[in-house]
Amino acid sequence: MKMRYMLRFIFSIVLLCFLIIGNAQRKDTTKLVYPERYGLRVGVDLHRLTKSLYDSNYKGLEVVADYRLTRRYYIAGEIGNEEKTVDDDRLNFTTKGTYFKVGFDYNSFENWLDMENMIYVGMRYGVSSFSQNLNLYKIYDQTNYYGETIITSGEKFNGLNASWVEVIGGVKAELLNNLYLGFSLRLNYLVSNKNPKNFENLYIPGFNRNYDGKFGAGLNYTISYFIPIYKKNKETRSALLN
Amino acid sequence: MKKIIFITLSLLLSLSFLNCEKDDICADRNANTPRVIVEFYDVVNTSTLKNVTNLRVKEVGTDEGVVFNATLASDNAARYLSNGNKIEIPLKTFDTTSEFEFLFNHGDASENIDVIRFNYATSNVFISRACGYKAIFQLDPTTPIMILPDAANWIQNIVVSQPNIENENEVHVKIYF
Repeated sequence: MKMRYMLRFIFSIVLLCFLIIGNAQRKDTTKLVYPERYGLRVGVDLHRLTKSLYDSNYKGLEVVADYRLTRRYYIAGEIGNEEKTVDDDRLNFTTKGTYFKVGFDYNSFENWLDMENMIYVGMRYGVSSFSQNLNLYKIYDQTNYYGETIITSGEKFNGLNASWVEVIGGVKAELLNNLYLGFSLRLNYLVSNKNPKNFENLYIPGFNRNYDGKFGAGLNYTISYFIPIYKKNKETRSALLN
Repeated sequence: MKKIIFITLSLLLSLSFLNCEKDDICADRNANTPRVIVEFYDVVNTSTLKNVTNLRVKEVGTDEGVVFNATLASDNAARYLSNGNKIEIPLKTFDTTSEFEFLFNHGDASENIDVIRFNYATSNVFISRACGYKAIFQLDPTTPIMILPDAANWIQNIVVSQPNIENENEVHVKIYF
């Protein structure tokens, strides 16, 4: 199931690449020098925002930002807050916490003329500080002689934390002047995880759902606004695309 | 062109709403709440295992027998009868005492009922997302098990050999008759 969605995402990325490249090739290949803009881009994750509206078990907000450092490299980061109630078959718990991710993006896309789209890969290091509230759980008893025992625990585990590394692939496209729409797919690898006593961090804000393994996955859809700070002339390497 | 990008991204956005959640199935063998393992011994030759005859065990106040032969149909009386020397008894996970009637020679004119009370503390141990928690028991150190006296008890003596009931791999209680 998961795989199918992943394939769908990859397919969409590829499709988008072709669309942008296709568009680029139709343009006239005049060797004009365009100034490249450098600056700060800030935005918000639409996925978490909309999920907060339709999913009563979820509240979350993620603010994203990147700063163009060189022609291809961007310092990038995300800061977010999540509250999620997971209602599983055997247990029900609420995770609340804040996370922060910092790293870089590398734009692999050769832009034409004054276009400023991105097809990028990147890395992040993420840290999260959170609490788990174990609302209720069931006692696993196969003999079932007395029927099922449901314990309304309400036990709260504070002061938990985790950190992880993310590998990112994504696109950002300029939709209107200075307004960008982007999405990214993230593969996460858990580096450290402070588990509560007699429970486990089954959900980590920013990292997402945690199974037995150390891998996780995430995504975001961002809308962001670019604040130009200064300009630099584009190197005439754009002619290479012919 | 930009419209196409916008439409593609919006489409992807709507796709993300379709969440796929897989159901986990509890497959851990150690996940089950352990039952008390009871072995029956001869009261004279205390090291000799002795088989019970048509023993039925049920919680006091109910008429539901503890299953001893799970392979038999639920309407077969033999499903709830033991003729061996080892039985497993489930304790209440939501209480600290459990009382059982041990019906020896069940269904016969010579049926003899002894009532046994287990006193214990419980603690719940986290297993996994799929299994949730299991309960483990610690038999009370002073009065772990009581035989309620009646005119003719068939059970002569009870010895606790393992007060911590954490798995079903060892014998917790020995009953002599």
